[in-house]
Amino acid sequence: MQAQEPRTLCTTCGAPLGAAIDCFATLGWPRRLAIDRAALERTYHELGRRMHPDRFVAAAPALRDASLRGTARLTQAYRTLGDPVSRGLYWLELHGRKLADNNKEVSPALAEMVFAVQEQLDDLRTVRSVARGGEAETPAGAAETAAIEAEMRTEVEERREELRGAIDAAGRELEANFADWDKAAAESPDGPHEAGGASAPGADARFAELKAILSKIAYLRTLIRDIDRALETAQAA
Amino acid sequence: MAYSEKVIEHYTNPRNVGSFAKGEDNVGTGIVGAPECGDVMKLQLKINPANGVIEDAKFKTFGCGSAIASSSYVTELVKGKHVDEAMAIKNTAIVQELNLPPVKIHCSVLAEDAIKAAITDWRKHQEPAVESADAVPARTAQEG
Repeated sequence: MQAQEPRTLCTTCGAPLGAAIDCFATLGWPRRLAIDRAALERTYHELGRRMHPDRFVAAAPALRDASLRGTARLTQAYRTLGDPVSRGLYWLELHGRKLADNNKEVSPALAEMVFAVQEQLDDLRTVRSVARGGEAETPAGAAETAAIEAEMRTEVEERREELRGAIDAAGRELEANFADWDKAAAESPDGPHEAGGASAPGADARFAELKAILSKIAYLRTLIRDIDRALETAQAA
Repeated sequence: MAYSEKVIEHYTNPRNVGSFAKGEDNVGTGIVGAPECGDVMKLQLKINPANGVIEDAKFKTFGCGSAIASSSYVTELVKGKHVDEAMAIKNTAIVQELNLPPVKIHCSVLAEDAIKAAITDWRKHQEPAVESADAVPARTAQEG
Protein backbone atom coordinates (compact mmCIF):
# COMPACT_ATOMS: atom_id res chain seq x y z
CA MET A 1 0.00 0.00 0.00
CA GLN A 2 2.85 2.41 0.84
CA ALA A 3 3.60 3.02 -2.83
CA GLN A 4 5.08 6.49 -2.47
CA GLU A 5 6.43 8.87 0.14
CA PRO A 6 3.48 10.64 1.76
CA ARG A 7 3.18 14.09 0.29
CA THR A 8 1.80 15.02 3.64
CA LEU A 9 5.43 15.31 4.74
CA CYS A 10 8.41 16.92 3.01
CA THR A 11 10.36 14.22 1.17
CA THR A 12 13.66 15.82 2.15
CA CYS A 13 13.34 16.84 5.79
CA GLY A 14 10.13 15.06 6.87
CA ALA A 15 8.44 18.25 8.04
CA PRO A 16 4.66 18.51 7.72
CA LEU A 17 3.58 20.39 4.59
CA GLY A 18 -0.09 20.94 5.46
CA ALA A 19 -0.88 20.79 1.75
CA ALA A 20 -4.49 20.68 0.56
CA ILE A 21 -4.40 17.19 -0.89
CA ASP A 22 -7.02 14.45 -1.11
CA CYS A 23 -7.54 11.76 1.52
CA PHE A 24 -5.57 9.09 -0.33
CA ALA A 25 -2.60 11.38 -0.94
CA THR A 26 -2.75 12.49 2.71
CA LEU A 27 -2.01 8.89 3.67
CA GLY A 28 0.50 8.59 0.84
CA TRP A 29 -1.58 5.83 -0.72
CA PRO A 30 -2.63 5.19 -4.31
CA ARG A 31 -6.37 5.50 -4.90
CA ARG A 32 -7.47 1.99 -4.05
CA LEU A 33 -10.83 1.41 -2.41
CA ALA A 34 -10.21 -1.88 -0.65
CA ILE A 35 -8.60 -0.63 2.53
CA ASP A 36 -7.05 -2.79 5.18
CA ARG A 37 -8.17 -1.46 8.53
CA ALA A 38 -4.93 -2.42 10.33
CA ALA A 39 -2.78 -0.72 7.67
CA LEU A 40 -4.93 2.40 7.97
CA GLU A 41 -4.44 2.44 11.75
CA ARG A 42 -0.68 2.04 11.37
CA THR A 43 -0.34 4.81 8.80
CA TYR A 44 -2.60 7.11 10.78
CA HIS A 45 -0.59 6.72 13.95
CA GLU A 46 2.78 6.90 12.21
CA LEU A 47 1.97 10.12 10.33
CA GLY A 48 0.13 11.54 13.31
CA ARG A 49 3.19 11.04 15.45
CA ARG A 50 5.54 12.61 12.90
CA MET A 51 3.58 15.83 12.52
CA HIS A 52 2.02 16.13 15.95
CA PRO A 53 1.56 19.83 16.89
CA ASP A 54 3.32 19.20 20.22
CA ARG A 55 6.56 18.68 18.33
CA PHE A 56 6.31 22.08 16.66
CA VAL A 57 5.40 24.29 19.60
CA ALA A 58 8.70 26.16 19.34
CA ALA A 59 8.95 25.96 15.55
CA ALA A 60 8.49 28.76 13.02
CA PRO A 61 4.82 29.85 12.70
CA ALA A 62 4.55 28.49 9.15
CA LEU A 63 5.71 25.07 10.28
CA ARG A 64 3.40 25.17 13.30
CA ASP A 65 0.47 25.98 11.02
CA ALA A 66 1.46 23.21 8.63
CA SER A 67 1.53 20.76 11.52
CA LEU A 68 -1.98 21.79 12.60
CA ARG A 69 -3.39 21.71 9.07
CA GLY A 70 -1.67 18.43 8.31
CA THR A 71 -2.98 16.83 11.50
CA ALA A 72 -6.52 18.00 10.75
CA ARG A 73 -6.28 16.58 7.21
CA LEU A 74 -4.93 13.32 8.51
CA THR A 75 -7.78 12.92 10.98
CA GLN A 76 -10.26 13.70 8.24
CA ALA A 77 -8.67 11.16 5.89
CA TYR A 78 -8.65 8.53 8.63
CA ARG A 79 -12.34 9.04 9.38
CA THR A 80 -13.42 9.37 5.76
CA LEU A 81 -11.60 6.31 4.48
CA GLY A 82 -12.03 4.24 7.63
CA ASP A 83 -15.77 3.79 7.18
CA PRO A 84 -16.76 2.02 3.94
CA VAL A 85 -19.91 4.11 3.44
CA SER A 86 -18.16 7.45 3.90
CA ARG A 87 -15.33 6.12 1.72
CA GLY A 88 -17.82 5.39 -1.07
CA LEU A 89 -19.45 8.81 -0.71
CA TYR A 90 -16.02 10.41 -0.80
CA TRP A 91 -15.17 8.50 -3.98
CA LEU A 92 -18.24 10.03 -5.64
CA GLU A 93 -17.34 13.49 -4.35
CA LEU A 94 -13.75 13.13 -5.51
CA HIS A 95 -15.06 12.58 -9.05
CA GLY A 96 -17.63 15.36 -8.97
CA ARG A 97 -20.59 13.01 -8.64
CA LYS A 98 -23.30 13.44 -6.08
CA LEU A 99 -25.61 10.91 -4.54
CA ALA A 100 -28.58 13.27 -4.50
CA ASP A 101 -28.57 14.03 -8.23
CA ASN A 102 -31.94 12.35 -8.63
CA ASN A 103 -34.21 9.74 -7.09
CA LYS A 104 -33.80 7.13 -9.78
CA GLU A 105 -31.40 5.13 -7.64
CA VAL A 106 -34.17 3.91 -5.36
CA SER A 107 -35.63 0.70 -6.73
CA PRO A 108 -39.44 0.37 -6.68
CA ALA A 109 -39.11 -2.65 -4.38
CA LEU A 110 -37.10 -0.63 -1.86
CA ALA A 111 -39.53 2.32 -1.98
CA GLU A 112 -42.46 -0.06 -1.42
CA MET A 113 -40.71 -1.69 1.51
CA VAL A 114 -39.96 1.71 3.08
CA PHE A 115 -43.58 2.72 2.62
CA ALA A 116 -44.81 -0.50 4.25
CA VAL A 117 -42.54 0.06 7.26
CA GLN A 118 -43.66 3.70 7.60
CA GLU A 119 -47.29 2.53 7.60
CA GLN A 120 -46.42 -0.01 10.29
CA LEU A 121 -44.92 2.78 12.41
CA ASP A 122 -47.96 4.94 11.78
CA ASP A 123 -50.23 2.12 12.99
CA LEU A 124 -48.07 1.67 16.07
CA ARG A 125 -48.37 5.38 16.91
CA THR A 126 -52.13 5.26 16.43
CA VAL A 127 -52.61 2.25 18.69
CA ARG A 128 -50.33 3.83 21.26
CA SER A 129 -52.30 7.04 21.37
CA VAL A 130 -55.49 5.01 21.83
CA ALA A 131 -53.87 2.98 24.60
CA ARG A 132 -52.48 6.06 26.37
CA GLY A 133 -55.49 8.24 25.74
CA GLY A 134 -57.66 6.09 28.02
CA GLU A 135 -60.30 5.85 25.31
CA ALA A 136 -61.02 2.22 26.11
CA GLU A 137 -64.34 1.98 27.91
CA THR A 138 -63.62 -1.16 29.88
CA PRO A 139 -60.53 -2.66 31.57
CA ALA A 140 -60.86 -5.61 29.19
CA GLY A 141 -60.77 -3.22 26.23
CA ALA A 142 -57.68 -1.51 27.61
CA ALA A 143 -55.94 -4.86 28.06
CA GLU A 144 -56.77 -5.79 24.50
CA THR A 145 -55.33 -2.52 23.17
CA ALA A 146 -52.17 -3.07 25.20
CA ALA A 147 -51.85 -6.59 23.80
CA ILE A 148 -52.22 -5.28 20.23
CA GLU A 149 -49.60 -2.63 20.91
CA ALA A 150 -47.15 -5.20 22.29
CA GLU A 151 -47.69 -7.38 19.23
CA MET A 152 -47.08 -4.45 16.91
CA ARG A 153 -43.91 -3.53 18.75
CA THR A 154 -42.63 -7.06 18.29
CA GLU A 155 -43.40 -6.92 14.58
CA VAL A 156 -41.58 -3.61 14.24
CA GLU A 157 -38.59 -4.97 16.17
CA GLU A 158 -38.47 -7.97 13.86
CA ARG A 159 -38.60 -5.65 10.89
CA ARG A 160 -35.67 -3.69 12.30
CA GLU A 161 -33.62 -6.90 12.49
CA GLU A 162 -34.44 -7.62 8.84
CA LEU A 163 -33.34 -4.13 7.89
CA ARG A 164 -30.07 -4.51 9.79
CA GLY A 165 -29.49 -7.70 7.85
CA ALA A 166 -30.21 -5.83 4.63
CA ILE A 167 -27.63 -3.18 5.56
CA ASP A 168 -25.04 -5.89 6.21
CA ALA A 169 -25.81 -7.39 2.80
CA ALA A 170 -25.46 -3.95 1.19
CA GLY A 171 -22.11 -3.59 2.97
CA ARG A 172 -20.92 -6.73 1.22
CA GLU A 173 -22.15 -5.35 -2.12
CA LEU A 174 -20.14 -2.22 -1.37
CA GLU A 175 -16.98 -4.26 -0.79
CA ALA A 176 -17.55 -6.07 -4.09
CA ASN A 177 -17.95 -2.72 -5.86
CA PHE A 178 -14.71 -1.46 -4.29
CA ALA A 179 -12.93 -4.61 -5.50
CA ASP A 180 -14.25 -3.91 -9.03
CA TRP A 181 -12.75 -0.42 -8.95
CA ASP A 182 -9.38 -1.70 -7.78
CA LYS A 183 -9.40 -4.46 -10.37
CA ALA A 184 -10.16 -1.97 -13.12
CA ALA A 185 -7.39 0.32 -11.86
CA ALA A 186 -4.85 -2.51 -11.71
CA GLU A 187 -5.79 -4.14 -15.01
CA SER A 188 -6.41 -1.04 -17.10
CA PRO A 189 -5.26 -1.47 -20.75
CA ASP A 190 -2.86 1.45 -20.41
CA GLY A 191 -1.24 0.11 -17.26
CA PRO A 192 -2.11 0.34 -13.55
CA HIS A 193 -3.75 3.58 -12.54
CA GLU A 194 -2.29 5.33 -9.55
CA ALA A 195 -5.39 7.54 -9.56
CA GLY A 196 -7.79 4.59 -9.30
CA GLY A 197 -10.24 3.09 -11.76
CA ALA A 198 -12.22 6.27 -12.48
CA SER A 199 -10.63 6.66 -15.91
CA ALA A 200 -10.53 2.91 -16.62
CA PRO A 201 -13.20 1.30 -18.82
CA GLY A 202 -16.60 0.66 -17.24
CA ALA A 203 -16.37 3.52 -14.73
CA ASP A 204 -19.92 4.74 -15.44
CA ALA A 205 -21.42 1.37 -14.61
CA ARG A 206 -19.35 1.16 -11.43
CA PHE A 207 -20.42 4.67 -10.42
CA ALA A 208 -24.07 3.78 -11.04
CA GLU A 209 -23.77 0.64 -8.94
CA LEU A 210 -21.97 2.51 -6.18
CA LYS A 211 -24.69 5.16 -6.09
CA ALA A 212 -27.41 2.52 -5.92
CA ILE A 213 -25.73 0.73 -3.02
CA LEU A 214 -25.04 3.94 -1.08
CA SER A 215 -28.59 5.18 -1.64
CA LYS A 216 -29.94 1.92 -0.33
CA ILE A 217 -27.75 2.07 2.79
CA ALA A 218 -28.68 5.72 3.44
CA TYR A 219 -32.36 4.92 3.06
CA LEU A 220 -32.20 1.86 5.31
CA ARG A 221 -30.30 3.79 7.98
CA THR A 222 -32.89 6.58 7.94
CA LEU A 223 -35.62 4.00 8.25
CA ILE A 224 -33.95 2.29 11.21
CA ARG A 225 -33.58 5.69 12.87
CA ASP A 226 -37.32 6.27 12.39
CA ILE A 227 -38.04 2.86 13.89
CA ASP A 228 -35.77 3.57 16.86
CA ARG A 229 -37.61 6.82 17.50
CA ALA A 230 -41.04 5.23 17.22
CA LEU A 231 -40.09 2.44 19.61
CA GLU A 232 -38.48 4.83 22.09
CA THR A 233 -41.53 7.06 22.16
CA ALA A 234 -43.65 3.96 22.64
CA GLN A 235 -41.57 3.08 25.67
CA ALA A 236 -41.52 6.58 27.14
CA ALA A 237 -45.20 7.38 26.65
CA MET B 1 -36.27 27.40 6.71
CA ALA B 2 -39.62 29.04 6.17
CA TYR B 3 -42.21 27.24 4.11
CA SER B 4 -44.16 29.18 1.55
CA GLU B 5 -47.81 29.94 2.29
CA LYS B 6 -48.95 27.47 -0.34
CA VAL B 7 -46.85 24.68 1.15
CA ILE B 8 -48.29 25.39 4.59
CA GLU B 9 -51.78 25.48 3.14
CA HIS B 10 -51.39 22.06 1.47
CA TYR B 11 -49.59 20.67 4.50
CA THR B 12 -52.27 21.68 7.00
CA ASN B 13 -55.10 20.88 4.63
CA PRO B 14 -53.85 18.10 2.35
CA ARG B 15 -56.13 17.10 -0.53
CA ASN B 16 -57.05 13.55 -1.42
CA VAL B 17 -55.21 11.72 1.33
CA GLY B 18 -55.69 7.97 1.48
CA SER B 19 -55.77 5.05 -0.86
CA PHE B 20 -58.27 3.25 -3.04
CA ALA B 21 -59.72 -0.01 -1.82
CA LYS B 22 -57.56 -3.03 -2.47
CA GLY B 23 -58.41 -4.72 -5.72
CA GLU B 24 -60.24 -1.71 -7.09
CA ASP B 25 -60.13 -1.67 -10.89
CA ASN B 26 -58.34 0.82 -13.09
CA VAL B 27 -56.06 2.06 -10.36
CA GLY B 28 -52.38 2.63 -10.98
CA THR B 29 -50.07 2.85 -7.97
CA GLY B 30 -46.69 4.52 -7.84
CA ILE B 31 -44.45 4.36 -4.79
CA VAL B 32 -41.25 6.39 -4.94
CA GLY B 33 -38.63 7.34 -2.41
CA ALA B 34 -35.84 9.84 -1.91
CA PRO B 35 -32.82 8.39 -0.11
CA GLU B 36 -31.30 11.73 0.85
CA CYS B 37 -34.16 12.65 3.16
CA GLY B 38 -35.85 9.28 3.73
CA ASP B 39 -39.16 10.47 2.29
CA VAL B 40 -41.50 8.01 0.64
CA MET B 41 -44.57 8.83 -1.42
CA LYS B 42 -47.46 6.72 -2.67
CA LEU B 43 -49.66 8.09 -5.42
CA GLN B 44 -52.68 6.27 -6.78
CA LEU B 45 -54.54 7.29 -9.90
CA LYS B 46 -57.97 6.04 -10.94
CA ILE B 47 -58.00 6.10 -14.69
CA ASN B 48 -60.90 5.58 -17.09
CA PRO B 49 -59.76 2.74 -19.37
CA ALA B 50 -62.10 3.90 -22.16
CA ASN B 51 -60.58 7.36 -22.65
CA GLY B 52 -57.43 7.36 -20.51
CA VAL B 53 -58.61 10.26 -18.35
CA ILE B 54 -57.55 10.44 -14.70
CA GLU B 55 -60.79 10.53 -12.75
CA ASP B 56 -59.51 10.49 -9.21
CA ALA B 57 -56.24 10.56 -7.30
CA LYS B 58 -55.14 9.72 -3.79
CA PHE B 59 -51.83 9.97 -2.00
CA LYS B 60 -50.07 9.13 1.21
CA THR B 61 -46.65 10.58 1.93
CA PHE B 62 -44.26 10.10 4.82
CA GLY B 63 -41.89 13.02 4.73
CA CYS B 64 -41.37 16.72 5.13
CA GLY B 65 -43.92 19.47 4.56
CA SER B 66 -42.72 20.11 1.02
CA ALA B 67 -43.03 16.44 0.06
CA ILE B 68 -46.57 16.31 1.46
CA ALA B 69 -47.52 19.57 -0.25
CA SER B 70 -46.01 18.44 -3.56
CA SER B 71 -47.97 15.20 -3.58
CA SER B 72 -51.15 16.92 -2.40
CA TYR B 73 -50.88 19.49 -5.19
CA VAL B 74 -50.19 16.79 -7.75
CA THR B 75 -53.42 14.96 -6.92
CA GLU B 76 -55.32 18.14 -7.80
CA LEU B 77 -53.20 18.83 -10.85
CA VAL B 78 -53.69 15.46 -12.55
CA LYS B 79 -57.44 15.11 -12.05
CA GLY B 80 -59.26 15.44 -15.36
CA LYS B 81 -56.07 15.18 -17.36
CA HIS B 82 -55.37 12.53 -19.97
CA VAL B 83 -52.57 10.14 -18.95
CA ASP B 84 -50.35 11.43 -21.78
CA GLU B 85 -50.84 14.97 -20.51
CA ALA B 86 -50.08 13.88 -16.94
CA MET B 87 -46.95 12.05 -18.10
CA ALA B 88 -45.69 15.36 -19.47
CA ILE B 89 -46.01 17.22 -16.15
CA LYS B 90 -42.63 18.56 -15.11
CA ASN B 91 -41.47 19.09 -11.56
CA THR B 92 -40.87 22.76 -12.39
CA ALA B 93 -44.66 23.25 -12.47
CA ILE B 94 -44.81 22.03 -8.87
CA VAL B 95 -41.83 24.18 -7.84
CA GLN B 96 -43.52 27.22 -9.31
CA GLU B 97 -46.92 26.60 -7.77
CA LEU B 98 -45.55 25.93 -4.29
CA ASN B 99 -42.59 28.34 -4.38
CA LEU B 100 -40.24 25.57 -3.33
CA PRO B 101 -36.73 26.68 -2.35
CA PRO B 102 -33.74 25.00 -4.06
CA VAL B 103 -33.15 22.56 -1.18
CA LYS B 104 -36.70 21.23 -1.61
CA ILE B 105 -36.69 20.76 -5.36
CA HIS B 106 -36.11 17.04 -4.92
CA CYS B 107 -39.58 16.84 -3.34
CA SER B 108 -41.11 18.05 -6.59
CA VAL B 109 -38.97 15.59 -8.56
CA LEU B 110 -40.30 12.86 -6.31
CA ALA B 111 -43.89 13.90 -7.05
CA GLU B 112 -43.20 13.95 -10.79
CA ASP B 113 -41.67 10.47 -10.53
CA ALA B 114 -44.73 9.30 -8.60
CA ILE B 115 -47.07 10.35 -11.43
CA LYS B 116 -44.96 8.50 -13.98
CA ALA B 117 -44.70 5.41 -11.77
CA ALA B 118 -48.47 5.32 -11.17
CA ILE B 119 -49.33 5.67 -14.87
CA THR B 120 -46.72 3.09 -15.85
CA ASP B 121 -48.23 0.71 -13.30
CA TRP B 122 -51.74 1.33 -14.66
CA ARG B 123 -50.57 0.74 -18.25
CA LYS B 124 -48.98 -2.52 -17.22
CA HIS B 125 -52.37 -3.72 -16.03
CA GLN B 126 -54.09 -2.50 -19.20
CA GLU B 127 -51.94 -4.54 -21.54
CA PRO B 128 -53.50 -7.96 -20.84
CA ALA B 129 -56.69 -8.85 -22.74
CA VAL B 130 -59.55 -6.50 -21.88
CA GLU B 131 -61.65 -9.35 -20.52
CA SER B 132 -59.08 -10.28 -17.92
CA ALA B 133 -58.23 -6.73 -16.91
CA ASP B 134 -60.87 -6.83 -14.18
CA ALA B 135 -59.14 -9.73 -12.50
CA VAL B 136 -55.91 -7.82 -12.02
CA PRO B 137 -55.84 -6.33 -8.54
CA ALA B 138 -54.34 -2.95 -7.87
CA ARG B 139 -50.83 -3.29 -6.62
CA THR B 140 -50.41 -2.41 -2.98
CA ALA B 141 -47.53 -1.68 -0.70
CA GLN B 142 -48.05 -4.93 1.16
CA GLU B 143 -47.39 -6.99 -1.93
CA GLY B 144 -44.09 -5.26 -2.50
